[in-house]
Amino acid sequence: MTSPWPLLITLTYVAIAMVIGLRARGGRRMNSLEEWGVAGRSMGPVTLYLLIAAGSVSAYTFMGAPGWAYAKGVAVFYVAVYLAYLALVAWYFGPKVWQFGEQFGHVTQASAIADRYQSPALGALAALVMSIGSIAYAVLQTVGSAYILFVMSGGMIPVWLGVPLVLGCIAIYLFVSGQRAIGRTNAFQGVLMLIVAWAVGMWALHNATGGLRFGPLFERLLAEHGEFLTLPGAGGDMTFSFWTTSIIVSMFSFMPPVWTQWMSASSARTIRRSATWLPTYYVVILPMVVVGFIGIFSLPDLARADTVVLEYAMQHLPVVLVGLLGAGTLAASMSSSEPFIHSVALSWSRDVLQPLLGLSDALTGRLARWMIVPLMALVIAPLAIAEPGSLVMILLVGLGFATQVLPAFIGMFFWPRASRLGVMAGIVAGFLVTVAFTTLWPHPLGVHAGFWGLMLNLPVFVAVSLVTAPADSEVVERFFRIAAPRGLTRLGSGGKTVAADTAAHGG
Amino acid sequence: MQRLVVLPTSRTGWALTIAFVAVVVAGIWPVIDLVNRAVLFLGLPLLVVWSYVLIFACFAVMLIANRVIEWQEGEDD
Repeated sequence: MTSPWPLLITLTYVAIAMVIGLRARGGRRMNSLEEWGVAGRSMGPVTLYLLIAAGSVSAYTFMGAPGWAYAKGVAVFYVAVYLAYLALVAWYFGPKVWQFGEQFGHVTQASAIADRYQSPALGALAALVMSIGSIAYAVLQTVGSAYILFVMSGGMIPVWLGVPLVLGCIAIYLFVSGQRAIGRTNAFQGVLMLIVAWAVGMWALHNATGGLRFGPLFERLLAEHGEFLTLPGAGGDMTFSFWTTSIIVSMFSFMPPVWTQWMSASSARTIRRSATWLPTYYVVILPMVVVGFIGIFSLPDLARADTVVLEYAMQHLPVVLVGLLGAGTLAASMSSSEPFIHSVALSWSRDVLQPLLGLSDALTGRLARWMIVPLMALVIAPLAIAEPGSLVMILLVGLGFATQVLPAFIGMFFWPRASRLGVMAGIVAGFLVTVAFTTLWPHPLGVHAGFWGLMLNLPVFVAVSLVTAPADSEVVERFFRIAAPRGLTRLGSGGKTVAADTAAHGG
Repeated sequence: MQRLVVLPTSRTGWALTIAFVAVVVAGIWPVIDLVNRAVLFLGLPLLVVWSYVLIFACFAVMLIANRVIEWQEGEDD
């Protein structure tokens, strides 16, 4: 590509994101965990809506999802379905997590786990293992960012240079403004992505069919490649069981940045309002996926399916739209990597180093800010530049593990009898199964490895909880006053309810 | 304490829970098998249309649930 416009537009986006991120601080002191970590619990419904939406729409939407459409067909829409279901999860759990944070001072997911089970060790374990998936996710997004810069610059910015460039920009505004920077930049990135996705999708559709209706494209697809319109898809590997279990596993992967986002809201009601509107954002997926379908006819011999949109844009779209696509894809990858980097730095400081070294809250607040520097320089950047082939595998195992933490949340929201040892035993059992069924025998019978893990995890969790001591009644009482404000139900008693304080004392 | 769990405590609570579960069930097997047909509806594949029906059903269910909660909170006050 010889035109300078795509790179200029992409770099203009980076500059705007930098300015927004730096200005987000607004003169506040950022040395406390409350301020740098959860933006002083101040975010309104619109910012929170765009924060969660942009955070969940990653480079995958601009590259991976069209690639799936190109290679497999409509099976890719499982992503849209599970993202909508994540909004249901946010609607139910988000307000309770916010209340926990507001009343008990939690700023991370692991600190809530440590508090509920009165076990800093369990909190640290959760923080460390959750960070495997989080780091892998941030690395993948960084690789995507550097690849975009490489393409938009016509090869002038190699990946080894693009990685520190992108991470450096994020580091500066993340250090300065913390969660407020993520909120403001994600709001900007969310709007940009929506506009770019529809502009690119509609232009490509018009280019391919001569109109703006989806019908002619899919009529041709139906006539020539009907296998793309149903499961198991053109690749034959997206079976009903994999569709179903992937959605279930993804729904119950309570990733740490999402908790931090919920805890950044100004009120419980704010979360409910944002979550309600969240599914509407996922119309962003449709136009990008349509470009993937167009690629089936216009780019039949692509070596890498996930480059279908970029290849199509460079061959058929005007340079300004190519530049906007670069900016939109970079926005998608940056908006998804920032929350994960922030969350890992926050959790390592708050949930691992603070209890280990006995640090004060003030020192931990400062440490969390500085933690992003070694995290980016020593972990994320080298991994992103090396691009290890097993990275996707690490991510899959990491996400599989995220699902295995489900017992900790069952004990937090639904079952007061859950014990620390029960949660630990369930997590370990589920994790081992997930690792085995991801690496040694991938997804047996077409069922997601994380789902297999849960099938062992949950019975182990219940059994071990029943034979070990629960947490202190005072702790159970304060958690379930929030989780069950109208009382708990005694199973087998015809729906008889018991107040949280009675339940906590064995009632 | 071992038999105590958090469940809805009112008919309205149960109705909302059933609505949430119904929306989720509508997106997985066996329901998804019913819409897994190579036919177009409004120019889009049936599975795509169904995915967006589910997305807007999630929106609608939460919208109704918000109204119910606000009404209940008003009543509690």
